Amino acid sequence: MSTSSAGTPSIREMLKEKLGCTDQDFLKPLPHPTAWSRPFWEAAKQHKLVLKKCKLCGHIDHPPYLYCTVCSGEDAEWIEASGKARLYAYAVNTYAVPFPFMEDLPYVLAMVDLPEGPRMISNVVGCSPKELKNGMELEVIFDQVSPDVVLPKWRPVNG
Amino acid sequence: MGKPEFAIIGTGEVPCGIYPKRSEFEIAYRVAKLAIEDAGITKDQIGAALTAAHIMGSEYNTEMFFGRLPEAIGARNCKIVATTISGGASSFSIRKTAEGILRSGETDYVLVVHAQRFSQFSPNEQATFFAHAGADLEWEVPYGMTYNALSAMVTQAYMAYTGTTLEQVASVCVACRKWANLQPNAMFRDKTLTVEEVLKSRMVAYPLTALMCNVLADGGSAYVMTTAENARKVCSKPVYVLGEASGYSHRSITKSKVRDLDRMHEFYAPIAKAAYERAGLGPADMDIYEIYGSYPVISLMAMDAMGFVEAGRSGALVASGETSPGGKYPVSTNGEAMAFGHTGTGVGFSVFVESVRQLQGKAGKAQVDGARFLVEDCGGGAFMDVHFTVLGNQIPN
Repeated sequence: MSTSSAGTPSIREMLKEKLGCTDQDFLKPLPHPTAWSRPFWEAAKQHKLVLKKCKLCGHIDHPPYLYCTVCSGEDAEWIEASGKARLYAYAVNTYAVPFPFMEDLPYVLAMVDLPEGPRMISNVVGCSPKELKNGMELEVIFDQVSPDVVLPKWRPVNG
Repeated sequence: MGKPEFAIIGTGEVPCGIYPKRSEFEIAYRVAKLAIEDAGITKDQIGAALTAAHIMGSEYNTEMFFGRLPEAIGARNCKIVATTISGGASSFSIRKTAEGILRSGETDYVLVVHAQRFSQFSPNEQATFFAHAGADLEWEVPYGMTYNALSAMVTQAYMAYTGTTLEQVASVCVACRKWANLQPNAMFRDKTLTVEEVLKSRMVAYPLTALMCNVLADGGSAYVMTTAENARKVCSKPVYVLGEASGYSHRSITKSKVRDLDRMHEFYAPIAKAAYERAGLGPADMDIYEIYGSYPVISLMAMDAMGFVEAGRSGALVASGETSPGGKYPVSTNGEAMAFGHTGTGVGFSVFVESVRQLQGKAGKAQVDGARFLVEDCGGGAFMDVHFTVLGNQIPN
């Protein structure tokens, strides 16, 4: 994303020169898994989208917590999600974001509804923001954002 | 309703804007003095000094919760200090703290202070803080979430599902600006604004343009609260807390109790109704609706819940001019975060202090003639909660 056409300095180069930023300032914030969320991120590395399901009452929690947010049950299993979702709402960031995301502008943030129940904040990629429509069908993709971290993201079905 | 127990008898405020050389300590000491003078009491009568935390953190927080304020203003009979913080809902949680202290009988006078100086932080520090404040660090921030994007998504959903237009959303910013133009302490007191200018300003987070996003500013305000019984003895125009009601929904917007974000009024409305009922009044009795929006869509969702306009039609009402100065339904008479300036935890304080000024007849050019009752609200985080309060300069029969 930091490449730029010949002769034009990249945003990163510009900010380094103008504000004295260093490459450190452009490091993306990554998830720091907790004991109860680690299976989600481990599965994402295997390109699997999983959800935490209570074995007592069957409730699916996302984000997952230490114990079930409905019945407080401690016994849970991780189920693989269908990988499908619908776009509930979206925004397109075009300006005024923290430095690590400047080079990604413009990018789409979305609330996506999974048929399993949870709603997630994520990015919709692989299409122009103009093609986005509330309610459209999405499918999960996996983005290796660092050697250790894979973020599940979404793209239009038949996009 | 039961008899009101508490009243506000004086307020203080400094101009809001970018004032890097005016420290948050100077603001706190100044607004404390102004509020005590306005209340017509002396600093020696203050028995408790409450401060709201400086939301981005600074030594100010440590100094305040370790008792700097009473020493600095010479409140030598102060017995209790405390710092309260619940983001944008701090103005409410601190007032509940003040009520608890007054109810305990330990003192008759509680001083409540907020001060904020965002300009001590770099633009990137501010952008990063607010990206993280509105979003979940593990599940949202890695995707590049920002506060503006959060509000943009809610706006996008609200427009898509209610049919509200972007022009109507922009008209909220214009209505706020018209009120701020009447307020000597507002950040945008001197600059007018049109719908065209809002729509043409730089796109920040589609569908939100720059002028649909609030601006972080330096400022502060304070008030003195006492018991209703004492207020009648010492103040010619006390403002009574007539009814209050609260609700919490979520941390992450994905866990909102109301899943259809265009229907957030279904969460807000029963809480507003409870506040009206506790006051023994209804929406038609309100002379002003003091809303803490912070983004235009939040103002619209609050209006949808307050009972004076049909849910989903608030945008059309604002565009008609009826919430602007001279309109039938005055909303956010200090211009709130959009035009008064966003002072972090302080927006709720500035809205509350303006509410008191209106009911004391001290609102200057923005004064709504004959205002007797009003409803005000605040909330924090990623629209995590809401608190409605009905205030009055008289006690309804």
